[in-house]
Amino acid sequence: MPHDSTVLSPEYADRLHSLMELIEQGGSPEQANRLLDEITKLRENSLFQELGKLTREFHEALNSFRLDTRITNLAEEEFPDARERLKYVINMTAQAADRSLSAVEESNPICDELHQKAQDFAADWQRFTHRQMDAAEFRQLSGRLTDFFEELGSNTDKLRGNLYEITLAQDFQDLTGQVIKRVITLVDEMESSLVDLIRISGQNLIKGRPQEEQTAEVAMTEEELHRHKVAPMGPVVPGVDDDTTTVSGQDEVDDLLSSLGF
Amino acid sequence: MEKNIKILIVDDFSTMRRIIKNLLRDLGFTNTAEADDGTTALPMLHSGSFDLLITDWNMPGMQGIDLLRAVRADPKLQTMPVLMVTAEQKKEQIIEAAKAGVNGYIVKPFTAATLEEKLGKIFERLEGGK
Repeated sequence: MPHDSTVLSPEYADRLHSLMELIEQGGSPEQANRLLDEITKLRENSLFQELGKLTREFHEALNSFRLDTRITNLAEEEFPDARERLKYVINMTAQAADRSLSAVEESNPICDELHQKAQDFAADWQRFTHRQMDAAEFRQLSGRLTDFFEELGSNTDKLRGNLYEITLAQDFQDLTGQVIKRVITLVDEMESSLVDLIRISGQNLIKGRPQEEQTAEVAMTEEELHRHKVAPMGPVVPGVDDDTTTVSGQDEVDDLLSSLGF
Repeated sequence: MEKNIKILIVDDFSTMRRIIKNLLRDLGFTNTAEADDGTTALPMLHSGSFDLLITDWNMPGMQGIDLLRAVRADPKLQTMPVLMVTAEQKKEQIIEAAKAGVNGYIVKPFTAATLEEKLGKIFERLEGGK
């Protein structure tokens, strides 16, 4: 039992008193030894009591940790799940960057070539306007110009295609944004669960809580279940989300809708 | 296909709105406006005489499915074609959107060809109905 540590407990005081009297009256060593033994035993007892109390608290804290199924679930399922989702974000952003860079790298030489040819033609054209070009050379220039106009058409088409590709590559931002938002929600939940755990283990209030949560889950009504099924969940992450309840792409969407008479 | 129709693009991600706007421009549709969720889209639809609504599903505030329901429940707007462009790909959701009266459903990520095809189908049906 804890007691005020500034005051000597009565058990100690009694025995110390007896020991003092024994010394003053010149008592036998056997009697003194017996009193000393008793004092030692008292000291050991209170140590064991403190140790026992600490062990019990430790045990209860461990139990409350195990009992909190929400935390177990977070640690065992949702965190690995979140890890996969974040990997998906990395893949999507990497793909988008690669796509954009490829389009830019393919466009640069086209721009350089157009620039160079335009400069060459400008020089030739200047010579022509200054009447420094003979008929044969002009015929040759005229032929090159015809080719160039054709090339110009196909090259600008390629450039437009690449710009288009870069635009499309930006769609990762929407998808990854949604995945990241979901992981943030999970982290928020983990945080509040941990705060709860600290509160619970601090106060040893652990009884009954996980069971309440379980019954609440069972008691979902038909309507709630439906609402749950059609609630937005963001993009399907391959290998993480259930692929029996989801479609894998536009073709499956079209098939499903046409099966409904669309 | 009438290219001068007025189209409202609703998505909470500005990047996606930009992509859709660019794709539409490439297809010849330049008369577009943007909103970032159903709550801002609905008043625009009421005052703006739009011919087509392209909306995401998952948005803060009013979600796309609720915007679709609101459009179908409104006597002034109920015949407006609605194209859903979304990352939501649960079968239950697609069925739900069909029940609510969606005219097309595109899952992200999508291609320009898909958008063109779905728009074509919507207009085909509209012109066939006239």
